[in-house]
Amino acid sequence: MPRRLYDLRASIPRLWAFAHEHLLLLPAGAATALVWVNTLPESYYRFSYAIAFAVNDVAMAFFFALMTKEVVEATAPGGMLHPWRRALLPVIAAIAATTLAALFHVQMVAALDEPALAVAWPVTFASDLAFSYFVARIICGRHPIIPFVLMLGIASDALGGVAIAAFHPTVVHHFTKGGMVLALALGLALALRRARVTSFWPYLLIPGSLSWFAFWWSGLPPAFGLAPIMPFLPHAPRDPGFFVDASPDAKDTLSRFEVWWRHPSQIALFYFGLVNAGVAFHSLEPGTWGLPLAVLVGKPLGVLIGAGSALAAGLHLPLSLGWRELVVVGFIAAIGFSVGLFFCSALLPPGQLHSETSMGVLLSLAGAPLALLAARLLGVGRFAR
Amino acid sequence: MIGFWTNDEAASSQASSPLAYLMHTLRRCLIPVLTAAACTALLAQSVALPNRPDSVKFAAIGDNGTGDRPQYEVAQQMTSAHSRFPFDFVIMLGDNMYGGQQPNDFVRKFEQPYAALLAANVKFQASLGNHDRPENASYGPFNMNGQRYYTYVRKNVRFLALDSTLMDRKQLDWIDATLRDSREDWKVCYFHHPLYSNASRHGSSIDLRLQMEPIFLKNGVNVVFSGHDHVYERLRPQKGIYYFVSGAAGQLRRGNMEPSEQTAASFDQDQSFMLVEVAGLEMFFQSISRTGRVVDSGVIRRQQRPPS
Repeated sequence: MPRRLYDLRASIPRLWAFAHEHLLLLPAGAATALVWVNTLPESYYRFSYAIAFAVNDVAMAFFFALMTKEVVEATAPGGMLHPWRRALLPVIAAIAATTLAALFHVQMVAALDEPALAVAWPVTFASDLAFSYFVARIICGRHPIIPFVLMLGIASDALGGVAIAAFHPTVVHHFTKGGMVLALALGLALALRRARVTSFWPYLLIPGSLSWFAFWWSGLPPAFGLAPIMPFLPHAPRDPGFFVDASPDAKDTLSRFEVWWRHPSQIALFYFGLVNAGVAFHSLEPGTWGLPLAVLVGKPLGVLIGAGSALAAGLHLPLSLGWRELVVVGFIAAIGFSVGLFFCSALLPPGQLHSETSMGVLLSLAGAPLALLAARLLGVGRFAR
Repeated sequence: MIGFWTNDEAASSQASSPLAYLMHTLRRCLIPVLTAAACTALLAQSVALPNRPDSVKFAAIGDNGTGDRPQYEVAQQMTSAHSRFPFDFVIMLGDNMYGGQQPNDFVRKFEQPYAALLAANVKFQASLGNHDRPENASYGPFNMNGQRYYTYVRKNVRFLALDSTLMDRKQLDWIDATLRDSREDWKVCYFHHPLYSNASRHGSSIDLRLQMEPIFLKNGVNVVFSGHDHVYERLRPQKGIYYFVSGAAGQLRRGNMEPSEQTAASFDQDQSFMLVEVAGLEMFFQSISRTGRVVDSGVIRRQQRPPS
C-alpha cells in the first residue's frame, strides 16, 4: 500500500506535465463543468457564481499576461513579429476572416430564428492561440504555416478585444477615468523600466494593479489589465520561440515572470473551463449552431479573401504557403475555445444567450478535425504528396 | 392561500325499486355528462372572475407570435373574453415574434390577430424573449418605449417587465431599486425565462433563479409570470412567491409537462392564455384554452410583506 501510494505520488508530476503539454487542463475543466451542470445544476451555479470574479477577472489576468509575453518576445529580433511588416498580411487576413465570420453569425442566428444571439458576434473573432499552435504543429511540424496561424490568431483576438470594448451590449464604459488611471500605470511602468528594476514584482504590484483597476473601472474586461504592462518588463534580446517554455535559470524579467506564473495560470485555466463551460443542455436551441457554422465557414473563406486582397495589393505570402495551406489555417483559426469562452463571459451575463454561445464556442473545436481533414484532402503539411 | 371553485358530488341514495334504480342511474351518469357539456359550452362564452368594476384586469400571453392559425384562435378567445371581462391591457411574456420580423410580419403575427383588442384600446405591455429582435423594444404597440426592461403601475399593482435574455448586473440593480421603492400593494414581475418550470423541454432557468430570486424575496414580489416553455403551469408557492408559466398562446409542446410536487396545475394539450384580475388584496386568475375551456382557475391572497 505505501509503495502504491509512493507510485501514485510519483506519477502526479508526470501527469501534470502531460496535461500541461497537451493542453488538457482547460478541456478537463470544461468537461467537468458540462457533467456537473447537467447533473447538479444548482450546486454548479452556486459554485461558479461564487468564484467567477476571482477566476475570470483576476486569475485569467495572469493567463493573458503570459499570452502578451509571447507576443512581446515575438517582436524581438528572431521573433515572428520582427519586423512588424511581416504581420501585415496575416493582419489583413484576420480582418477579413473575423468580419466575414461575424457577418455570417448575425445572418445565421437570424435564419435559425434566434436573433437575440446576434449580440454575441464579437465572440466569433476569438482564436485560441495555444490550441491553434498545437493543431498546426500536429499538421505541419515546423512549417511557415505556424507563425502565420499565430499572427492571424493574435490579430483576431486583438480585434475581438476591441469589438467587446466598443460594442458591449450592456456595459456603459468610463473611458476617461479609466484612461487616466491607465496612463498613470503606464508612466509608472516606464519609470520602473528606466530605473532598471529587474524583479517582476514591482511591475506587477504597482503599475499592474493600477492597470487592472483601470480596465475594471472603464468597464473593460479586467483580465486584460496586465497586458499593457508586459511590454515594459525587460526581456531577452532574442525571441526564444513561440510557446517555448522559459528556462528555470532564465535571468530576464519576462522569463522570470513566466517561470513563476506558468503553473498557476494553468490551474486558472482549469477553473476557467469549470466556471465558463457549464452549459445546461436543456437551454440550447437551434441558434447554438450559428456560431460554429459562422466561424467554420466564415474564417476559411475570410482568410482566402483577405490573403487574396493583400496579394492583389502587392504583399507576398511566405514561401511554401498557398491557397491550400490558407484553407487549413482558416479552419485552425476557427477554434475559439479558451479565448472564445473568455469573450463570451466578458460579453454576456449568465443566461440562455451565454449558454448557447459557450456551447457554440465548444463546438468550434470541430475546427481541429476539419483542419486535419482539409490537410489530408489538400495534401498540406505531413500529408503533402 | 389558494381557493378553488369545487363541484361537490351529491350524496348517493339507495334505490328502492327497478324504476327508481333506473332513474338513479340516469341521474348519476347522464346528468353529470350533460352538465359538463353545458358548462363547457357556457364557459366558452362566459368569464367567471369577480369582474369588479374597480379592479385591475389584464390578460397574459407568451410565445404567441407564430402568425399561425392557433395564435389567431387564441386571439379570438381573448377578444371574446374581453367583451365580458374588459381587461385594459395584455402582458406579453416574450417570443412575441417568431421567424421573420419584417414590417409585414408585425402585421401578420401581431396587428391582425389582436386587431379587435387593439381597436378596443387594449394596451399590450411586452417583454422580450430569445426569439425577439432586441430592436422590437422600439415597436410602438409593444409599449416598451425602446427599453429592454421597464416598470409601470396600474392602481395598486406595480408591474416590472424584465429582459431575462440579457440579465446583466445593471438590470439586477435596477430591479432591486425599483422593487425597494415600490409602495403598491402588489408587485408583479414578468419575463420570458421561467425560474421554475416542470416542462421537460427547457424546465427551470436555475442560473437566472439564483440571481433573481433573492431580489424578489428581499423586496416582497408577489407573483411572477413567464413563458418560454410552451405549456401552462401554475406552481405551488416557491418560498412564498406564486409562479405561472404561460408560454402557449401561439406555440404548443403537447405532452411536454412532467408535473412534480412543485406543480399545482398544468395544461399541455392545447394553446392557452390567462386572464387575471387584482381586486384589493386578492388576485383572481383563469387559464383558458384555444377552444375556450377554463383549464385552471383560482384566487391568490396577497402574501405578507417581508420586514423592511
